[in-house]
Formats: sequence, structure tokens, C-alpha cells
Amino acid sequence: MTDPQIALSMLGVFILSIFLGFPIAFTLMAMGVFFGYYAYFDPARQWRSYDKLMGSEDPGTFDIVSAWFEGFFNNRIFDLFVNQTYSVMSNDVLTAIPLFLFMGYVVERANIVNKLFDTLYLSARRVPGAMAVAALATCALFATATGIVGAVVTLMGMLALPSMLRARYDTSFAAGVICAGGCLGILIPPSIMLIVYAASSNVSIVKLYAGALVPGFLLAGLYMIYVITRATLNPRLAPKPMASEIEHLSPVKIFVMLLTSFFPLAFLILAVLGAILFGLATPSEAAALGALGGLLLAAAYRSLTWDRLRESVYLTVRTSAMVCWMFVGSWVFSSVFSYMGGESIVEEIVLGFDLSPIMFLIVAQIIIFLLGWPLEWSEIIIIFVPIFLPLLPHFGVDPLFFGILIALNLQTSFLTPPMAMSAYYLKGVAPPGVELTQIFAGVMPYLVLILIAMVLIYVFPQLVFYLPELVYG
Amino acid sequence: MERAIRFIDRLTAWFGKAFAWCILAMTLGVGYEVFVRYVLNSPTAWAFDLSYMMYGALFMMGGAYTLSRNGHVRGDFIYRLWRPRVQARIELVLYFLFFFPGILALIFAGGKYAERSISYTEVSVMSPAGMPVFQFKMLMVAAGILLLLQGIAQVMRCLVCIRDGEWMQQDEDVEEMEKILLKQAAEKLAQRGANAS
Repeated sequence: MTDPQIALSMLGVFILSIFLGFPIAFTLMAMGVFFGYYAYFDPARQWRSYDKLMGSEDPGTFDIVSAWFEGFFNNRIFDLFVNQTYSVMSNDVLTAIPLFLFMGYVVERANIVNKLFDTLYLSARRVPGAMAVAALATCALFATATGIVGAVVTLMGMLALPSMLRARYDTSFAAGVICAGGCLGILIPPSIMLIVYAASSNVSIVKLYAGALVPGFLLAGLYMIYVITRATLNPRLAPKPMASEIEHLSPVKIFVMLLTSFFPLAFLILAVLGAILFGLATPSEAAALGALGGLLLAAAYRSLTWDRLRESVYLTVRTSAMVCWMFVGSWVFSSVFSYMGGESIVEEIVLGFDLSPIMFLIVAQIIIFLLGWPLEWSEIIIIFVPIFLPLLPHFGVDPLFFGILIALNLQTSFLTPPMAMSAYYLKGVAPPGVELTQIFAGVMPYLVLILIAMVLIYVFPQLVFYLPELVYG
Repeated sequence: MERAIRFIDRLTAWFGKAFAWCILAMTLGVGYEVFVRYVLNSPTAWAFDLSYMMYGALFMMGGAYTLSRNGHVRGDFIYRLWRPRVQARIELVLYFLFFFPGILALIFAGGKYAERSISYTEVSVMSPAGMPVFQFKMLMVAAGILLLLQGIAQVMRCLVCIRDGEWMQQDEDVEEMEKILLKQAAEKLAQRGANAS
């Protein structure tokens, strides 16, 4: 077999071994070391000291064994392995990951969701489907600040879902809002997913954030329009509260409530984003400020306890280790893969299909959509997206644009079975009587909205490029 | 065997948690840098080095702890359908096939790499402060050794599971909020079911 063929079989073996369910970071590392050992094998290096020793008179057994070992480890794959590991350890884009995670875990524990939801509901109560609108806004804001999907969905599932059901909202309608809203955090900056994409694609994280801002608001806006339209057209889905149920609050009172719940969190997000976009701070610095802000916020809500701080710190280390070790594995794997010519043979094969750029984009997005069924976003971005990236120049696709499409697309990976985390989390905390099928039925329309957003962005690429070009020329 | 597993779990958790506090040092250090740069107009020479060293130490030393808490992502859509005994048998083989070779390579090659760096007490070239980096490179070996130990514990876990037919209970530890909430909801539901019957 030639090297490129071996590279392809390396990819094949890896994909098959994913199914075995072993932690992927280590599978990648092992594949890299095995195939790399073969690819970099150089008999001269292996046997140099051994032959020299055998040439001399009367070599001792110990010397023979140690000479053999020395030769065995005299393979460039080991240098490559260590260098790739070190480049993950000293990567200045990835430093933002633990900081943003820390900020997320701290904000998550700041006891802010209840207040936020109540206040937003009170201020939106004259809008059709007020509670769903408030739930969506809470999800979007909270998910943006924490960047963690599971927590938002479960918290809102325990808080907003029972309230909506009590207000006689349709079960599917209520569940769909929470599931879809909770996923917005991976798209709207400062999202952790975009940092991971930046590290695997070498697109500037600042430009990615600028580029994701409009599409993020576009998608949230589409969700909002959908919720209000359906509630208006079919009031049975979201019955208006009776006149007796509406408390009469003066606008001043509501404003004060907003001031203590909505504005601090919104301000924190805007400050972090603003610092990054206006170039006042690097993403890592902004993330550190965000984490400090999160600590202040938690202290202001009197929920900064030693236990919660400890929890946030320990969870941060676990999630960071999960993401970053996967980078170690993936970089070792992919450098061996491209050394053996795997990248160019993938290019050759794909170019052989003679696709038009639009066809390529559609096929690539469908593949990523399908990968989202069994896999999580972190695996897709760190391992599979890099396979597509070298193909982009051939089709004239900007990696920035591609990244935003992926971020939109991966919203679906939380919502579609069999691994619809968002739906399962909601089912897990929902009151008895809420069925998974009802949740999936409620989620369906949002999948269509995501597709619409992707088409809109393809037709009007300025939605992505306007801000990055405006700010960075 | 259970005692050995718990001992290793506690050891790696201790290291993982100790290095987890790097995040606080990193937050404060970087926050301080921004403060002195904008307010006092005199940026520090060390904040950049500090941030990536804290980040690197954090995730490298947390790797084994994460493994013991089953925190590394797996493509488990088929895996979860298997009985625990089947899971354990397959994992046992895979630890020897996929885990130990890579980790041993990390320890040996990392050792050589760090040795070279120590031999001339290498300092960072990324910032004017000239922070030493050889200790940072030594972390690679330390992280590898912790992972190796944890790997041995995981292998023993598989053996226990093959013997008992179920996975060993884990010690209590901090958990993701969704997991805690899901558990509470499940308990509430079970309780309600018990009351109804």
C-alpha cells in the first residue's frame, strides 16, 4: 500500500473505533503514534547504535538491549507527539477556554435565572405568548453568558416549563422554546464553540465573534418571530392570562426589576464582547474580566459561597481537560495523517466529484448535520471539521463563513435524535406527563428555522461579513 | 482491588483539584494585567506567560482526574446499549491497545524533551520577563505519569466490573448542574410513585 492509502485506512480505522466507545482523545493519540511510527520509520535510525555495538568486540547483553531500546525510540513520531502536545499547552487561543468555562460555571451558580425569567415575563406580559417569549429571552441571555447547554435547559425545564403548563400552554410549544433557546449559547458570542473552531481553523477568534454576532441575533430573532406569530395565530397554544391574573405594576417598578436582573447580566456580556470587538482586550483577557464580573455578580446576588466557587473551579478543570486533551490527540493524529498524504488524497477524491461550490457547501453541511446525530459538537469541530478545511480554498469558501454555517448547523445536533441532549435533559426534569415525542414535535419547527437562517446567510453573505469588515477593514 | 482503585482516584483527584485553582490565579493575573495596562498605563511583562502556563498546567494535570470521573468524551451511542460486562471487556482490551502505548510514548518522549530543556534552564521567548519554561515542560511527564496510574485504576475497574457484572460506585464529587438537577427530578418522581402505590 502507498502512504496515502494507509492514511485513508487510518481514518477508516479511527472512525470504526469511535463506535467502540473508548474516550476519543486517547484513541486519536494511539492512532497517531501507531501509524506515525510506521510512517516515520527509518531503519538507519532504528539500527544505527545496535549495529555499531555489534561491530565492537564482546558486547554485553545489557548494552545490546539498551541499544535496541534506544533505536526503538529513535523515531521522529515521538518528537512530533511531544511538539504537538506542547503546542496545545502553549496555544494562546485556547487559553480563553478555561476562562470562559469558569465564567459560565460561576454565572450558572449565581441564582439569576428565576429573577430573570420572572422579570422578563412581567415586562413582556402584554405580548402574545408572553411566557414563551420570556422563556426564550431568558434562555438566550443565560446561554450566551454561560455557553453551556445542559444547565440552561434543565434550569428552565424546572422553572419555566411548569409555569407555562400551569398557564395552560401547549406542551410541545412550551418544550420547543426551551430546547431551542438553550442552544443559542453555542452560536452567540462569546461562545466557547467558536474558540474551538478558531483554534482548529486558524481563523482569528475576534473576526469569528464579529461574524457570528449578526447571524446569532438573526436566529434568535427568527425564533422570537415564530413564537409570537404562532401565539397570535393560534391563541390556544399560549392562552392569554386572565385579567385577574395580571398584576398591575407601574412601569417604574418593572424598570427597577429589570435593573437588578436583566441589565447586570446583559451588561456583563456586552462588556466582554465589546472589549474583544473593539480590540481593547484579547479574548483571553476579556474572558478573565468576564469571570471576575461573574464573581462580582454572584456576590451581588449573595450566592457566592465557598462551595459554589469550589464547584466551579473543579468543573472548569474537568471540562477544559476534556476539550484540550482532545486537541492533543487530534493534532497528533492530523499531522501524521497529512504527513502520509491523507489530506491531499481527500482533496483529490473530493475534487474528482467535480462539485460546484454550492453543491460542496450543501454536501459538507449535510455531513456535519448527520455527524451531529451521534456525536457532540466538540468531537465534530476538533476532529472532523479539520478534514473539510483544506478543501475550502478550492471552492472559494471563506473559512470564517464556513465556521458560522457550522455553528448554525450544530444547533441541530442538540435537538435531533438519537443524541438530542437538549430534549433528553428537558424530559429528565419535566413534570410527569410530558413525553419525549411531544418535545420532539415542539422542536421540529426550530430545525426549519435553523435551515432558513443558513439559507439566508448563504444568499446574503454580508450578514456574516459586514461586521468583521466594518471593524477590521 | 477496590482499595487500590480508590487510592489512585483520590491521588489523581488531589492533583487535578490542586491544579484546578490555576484558573483563579489566571483570572486574577490576567485581570491585574488589564487593570495596570489601562489604568496605570504600565503593562506587566509576565501576564502572557502566566496565562498560558496556568492554562497548560490546568488541563494537563486535570486529564487523569477527568478520566477517573469519566469526563472524556466518548462516542457512546452504541456503547451505552451494551451490558456493563460487555462494556468492561471491550474497554479492558482497548486500554492496552489505545491507552497505554500513547501515554508511555508521552512519558518517555516528554521526558527527553524536558531533560533537554532543563539542561540549559530554558526561559520563555514569548515575553520580556524571561520566565523559565523548563518546569512547564516537565509537567508533560507528570501528567503522563498521573494518566498512567489512572489508566491502571481504570483497568482494575474493568476487572471488578467483569467480576461483579456492574460498574463500581464512584465517590461523591462535584457534578455538572444538569446532572444534579436530573438526579433530583428522578428521585422526586420515584418518591411520588412510591407514595401513589
